[in-house]
Amino acid sequence: MDFLAEGFRRALALLLSGDAEVFGIALLTLKIAVVATVVACGIGLPLGYFLATRRFWGRRAALTAVNTALAFPTVVVGLLVYGLLSRRGPLGGLGWLYTWQAIVVGDVLLALPIAAALSAAAVQGVDPRVRRTAQTLGAGRWLTAWTVSREARFALAAVITAAFGQVVAEIGAAMMLGGNIRGSTRTLTTAVALSTSQGDFGLAVALGLLLIAIALIVNVTLQMLQGKGGG
Amino acid sequence: MVELRGVRHRYDGRLVLNLDHFAVPAGAMLAVVGHNGSGKSTLLRLLALLEAPTEGDVLWDGAPVPRRPPTTLRRRITLVEQRPILFRGTVLENIGYGLRIRGIERSQAYKRTSEVADQLGLLSLLDRRRHELSDGEVQRVAVARALVVRPDVLLLDEPTSSSDRAATGALYRALAQERATRAERPLAVCIASHQLEDAYRWADDIRALAEGRLSPVTPENLFRVDLEAGSGDTRHARVGAIEIVVTTDRTGPVVLAVPPTDIFVSREPLPSSARNVLSGRVTRVATHRPGGGGGVAVTADVGVELVAVVTAEAARELALAPDAPVVFSFKASAVRVF
Repeated sequence: MDFLAEGFRRALALLLSGDAEVFGIALLTLKIAVVATVVACGIGLPLGYFLATRRFWGRRAALTAVNTALAFPTVVVGLLVYGLLSRRGPLGGLGWLYTWQAIVVGDVLLALPIAAALSAAAVQGVDPRVRRTAQTLGAGRWLTAWTVSREARFALAAVITAAFGQVVAEIGAAMMLGGNIRGSTRTLTTAVALSTSQGDFGLAVALGLLLIAIALIVNVTLQMLQGKGGG
Repeated sequence: MVELRGVRHRYDGRLVLNLDHFAVPAGAMLAVVGHNGSGKSTLLRLLALLEAPTEGDVLWDGAPVPRRPPTTLRRRITLVEQRPILFRGTVLENIGYGLRIRGIERSQAYKRTSEVADQLGLLSLLDRRRHELSDGEVQRVAVARALVVRPDVLLLDEPTSSSDRAATGALYRALAQERATRAERPLAVCIASHQLEDAYRWADDIRALAEGRLSPVTPENLFRVDLEAGSGDTRHARVGAIEIVVTTDRTGPVVLAVPPTDIFVSREPLPSSARNVLSGRVTRVATHRPGGGGGVAVTADVGVELVAVVTAEAARELALAPDAPVVFSFKASAVRVF
């Protein structure tokens, strides 16, 4: 267990000294996670609402597809996006492979099913009378959606948290699509993997702690944004 | 104002509503009575344009309503469900919801909200949240929330099912007050209820719904009449081709209900104290509705259509069958007046 204690000591020293490289990695990780979460939830929450409230042909199949996508291994998504973004791929022209944008694309694909499936469940959990009541009181489509979402806001906040948790902790897509390039696409997870394999436990522990700290800060912020509860 | 034509509505293939025509005219005070499961709530949801009928048309001022009605049209009809749900937030926020989404200016909205809250006796509850209210209070808040937006048609599904007498009184007073202040654009109200007394006290028109169909005569034999002053407590009411003797001190427009179980059925007139003795012919014999205590419902044309409920035994003994001659007798005091 010596290496762990040693790791904590190094971590503390690194964090306190404000190591530029470590903070650069943390900042990039945060940037990728936030952008991916915003995009995934921006598409996924409305999609979830749509799946939960509209009756259309193929709705069950769509829900099943989304729920299955929840279990997609990150490396498979990484592989898929790699194929799309590689020079010979259909989106190769973007030149995104081994950039942070590529990681965002992979992360969005990973977080989207979470956002859609869980928000569909959250909206389905809202009493159907809420929607009818909003409509009969004169709410149009958007105001109805807003009113229903307001009733489900705790569940929807949990959805956002889950999506963020997925992308911030994800390593498969980050490794395959970003390439763990020092100073450009090295994220906290890929850096932890690298330092561990190099035997640099101190650095690995320090980065791991930072990752946990980011998750904690984001969760606390989201909880505060939800505001006071009340019925 | 709002109208259903040739409507057949199905849930999972099961026919729950079958109406050739049903209209809520502008400014009407309409009551729809029927037992639970008779299709009342479905009828109100169709009228509220919240659901489109499986078959048939919904008309607004004579023009067909599209399957996805525009919000501007939906805003003119408001439904209060049987077990209404309040949104997150205070009673004040709930009542003001419709005004807020219409973009009504805050101070004006507050004025209107307080006015309606006052009418329904809710002023002391404005800061409460939904879990701090009784069922009856929730119903009143829901009515206030619907009334506040000044709809042309207000649909109420069992609005007093959880209310005590005082609250029920407050509700009907509030409706009357609201209607009185709106001479230029009258408020039509349609209440679905199984509490007969309630509905008959104020409704201009009563429709009975049974198994998704309008029934021309309710199981309760209802008649709207105009009672003229008579001698003492006895009134003679003209109902179609016949006259019904009633014991009451009321005059003017009332609803008479002849309880089907209070009608004595025989083949020939029998000597009795019953003031109402009506002869006619049986039109229909049906096993009484389930849960109604067994018995056989005998419908007869005695000048008007009346339903009497007799025991299965009596029905056999009297050989009651369509077209058989029959006499219905009931006391003047058996007729209920609303």
